[in-house]
Amino acid sequence: MAAGNYLPTAELTASGRPVLYPGEIESSLLSSVDLLSEENPNFPHLKSGLLILTNHRLLWLPNSTPASSPTPVHIPLSAVSHIFSLKKSIKSVFSTPRIRFQVSVTSEGRVDEKGLRSIVITLVLRGKSDPEAFLGKFWEALKVRAWEEIKVGASGAEAGSSSGPRSGEGSLALRVPVVGVAGILRKEQEMWESTDKSLQDAFQDLNALMSKAKEMVMLAEKMRLKLLAGSNNQATGAAEDELGTKEEMQDWLLSVGIASPVTKESAGALYHQQLSRQLADFVRIPLERAGGTINLIDVYCLFNRARGTELISPDDLLQACSLWEKFDVPVMLRKFDSGVMVIQNKAHSDDEVFARIRSLVTKPDALQSGVSASDAAMTLGVAPAMAKEYLLTAEGKGLLCRDISPDGFRFYINLFQDINSDDVYL
Amino acid sequence: MRRRPGIGGLQNAAAARDQYRLLGENVAKLRTDLMKEQLSTFRSQLEDFARKHKNDIRKNPAFRSQFHEMCAKVGVDPLASNKGFWAELLGIGDFYYELGVQIVDICLSTRAHNGGLISLEELCKLLGQRRKGAREAVSEDDCLRAISKLKVLGSGFEVISVGKRKLVRSVPTELNKDHNEILELAQAQGFVTVDEVQRRLSWPSGRATDALETLLDEGLAMIDDGDKDGRRRYWFPCVSSISSYAGADTS
Repeated sequence: MAAGNYLPTAELTASGRPVLYPGEIESSLLSSVDLLSEENPNFPHLKSGLLILTNHRLLWLPNSTPASSPTPVHIPLSAVSHIFSLKKSIKSVFSTPRIRFQVSVTSEGRVDEKGLRSIVITLVLRGKSDPEAFLGKFWEALKVRAWEEIKVGASGAEAGSSSGPRSGEGSLALRVPVVGVAGILRKEQEMWESTDKSLQDAFQDLNALMSKAKEMVMLAEKMRLKLLAGSNNQATGAAEDELGTKEEMQDWLLSVGIASPVTKESAGALYHQQLSRQLADFVRIPLERAGGTINLIDVYCLFNRARGTELISPDDLLQACSLWEKFDVPVMLRKFDSGVMVIQNKAHSDDEVFARIRSLVTKPDALQSGVSASDAAMTLGVAPAMAKEYLLTAEGKGLLCRDISPDGFRFYINLFQDINSDDVYL
Repeated sequence: MRRRPGIGGLQNAAAARDQYRLLGENVAKLRTDLMKEQLSTFRSQLEDFARKHKNDIRKNPAFRSQFHEMCAKVGVDPLASNKGFWAELLGIGDFYYELGVQIVDICLSTRAHNGGLISLEELCKLLGQRRKGAREAVSEDDCLRAISKLKVLGSGFEVISVGKRKLVRSVPTELNKDHNEILELAQAQGFVTVDEVQRRLSWPSGRATDALETLLDEGLAMIDDGDKDGRRRYWFPCVSSISSYAGADTS
């Protein structure tokens, strides 16, 4: 098999593992893969080997080790010019998945990144595999172009030490003494390589974890749709049962990290229900101190600081506050037009505040010179930012009129609505 | 079920409905059992991962950032709730929620100076000072994630891009395109003049003055009338590279 004429050979260690270049990290391993070119019959047809995708190259290793087996080869990713997307058809469901990509070759047909011609290479994945996942990684590797960075950095680290790609599992053929500049550089490289290796493991584990997480997400989606649909057809007898499972479902969705909607019927995850009550208790004293209204973001900070550990997330806080309307607690969440959200004492309702604003704004000096946000803040006993929100809302309701002058923003009682068009002389 | 007329038929129909309902419940039960099982496998896989790589996540911002990206691709939000497995087993929840608290603090304490707009660089620097004792390094990516979580609480926490820089907004003030362009212009020297704005952006004087006055009202700009040729300068603390926060933050 004159594979060497078309594909560069891949070096192997004594134990049959590929010799990786500095900075080369394996990212995927597929077994029973054929490598061939459908266009060119002269191109070697490599059967049933091990395909390794790294961030630098695609390696193909033969499965067995008899002398007659083909030589291991590789394709540098720098020579790959395009990856074709998976053809999805009825036929493809039953046939073995194939991955096609285009590489540049020289006029003799040898794979080379500087080649001017190109051919299409096909990988036939005969073993158990996930072609989509592999394609994804292939694309990633191509996008990142890791081989270009390494070219620049490699020359520096190699000075004085045994140059060339490092061999398999930590067995350095030449033990260079750890002294002098060479020693320091060597040490650095070793440290870098060992972190690199542990990160390799970390990334592999991360990949595996994410695949599992993806399964969970799909399952959870089905559950979630059931949750939303189930609330539409309530059989009276089964109500409690359904609700019980619903809360559990929401707890599970939470565990996996999927936001679940607090629907009108459901009461949200048990966790949030408990948190909701905890918060209602906690927020009582700060609310009093702040005059009945407090910014949601301030509550977030206060609560978490008080907790110390096992903090709550902003989403947790929002969910918990949204549940208050279902329980009988003396506090409520209120959203202003500007997007600012506050927690308010129910006793401190809008009507009550407006009544106080009205009395403030009808005082003699207020009739003359109006009321500013800071004036209102002092009277209402809230922060100026809050006072401003209230004044704006009161204006929106028609209670006040604004006056913008060089003196600033001031509010007056709105008399326009009292003007009777039939009796203009007031 | 053959429909029979009369009371008997009604009773039959009711019985049939009941049977279907029970079946439906059983099916639901089956699925919940399946879910429970899947959940516990997932949890143990996550436990394994945490045992081996919890430290990597804590110590390595690049790995952490990659972790987040992958979660996003898969469709899970590891920071959604502290009750989630992610926060519980990997312990990253507390890291980000606490970061959120610290960011809010810093924004609040610098608000008088910059009007509620602070550059991401500055924020990270102040965070670094505040967290001197902490073991974990905080990257810009971490800040961005913490802020994106804070967004849901209203109060206008948001990251906006102005020119090359990223600014963190902590007040609900809306910045329109005009304001953004002025801020971008101001990045060069830290200040602009009305003339400069008119000249560089080809605006009529009314538009320039209006935008600058609004920025002034919101507290994002400061006036400097001390220039020898008498032209008023509008300074923007949030984009100027002169950091004059020394002493403002001690804890």
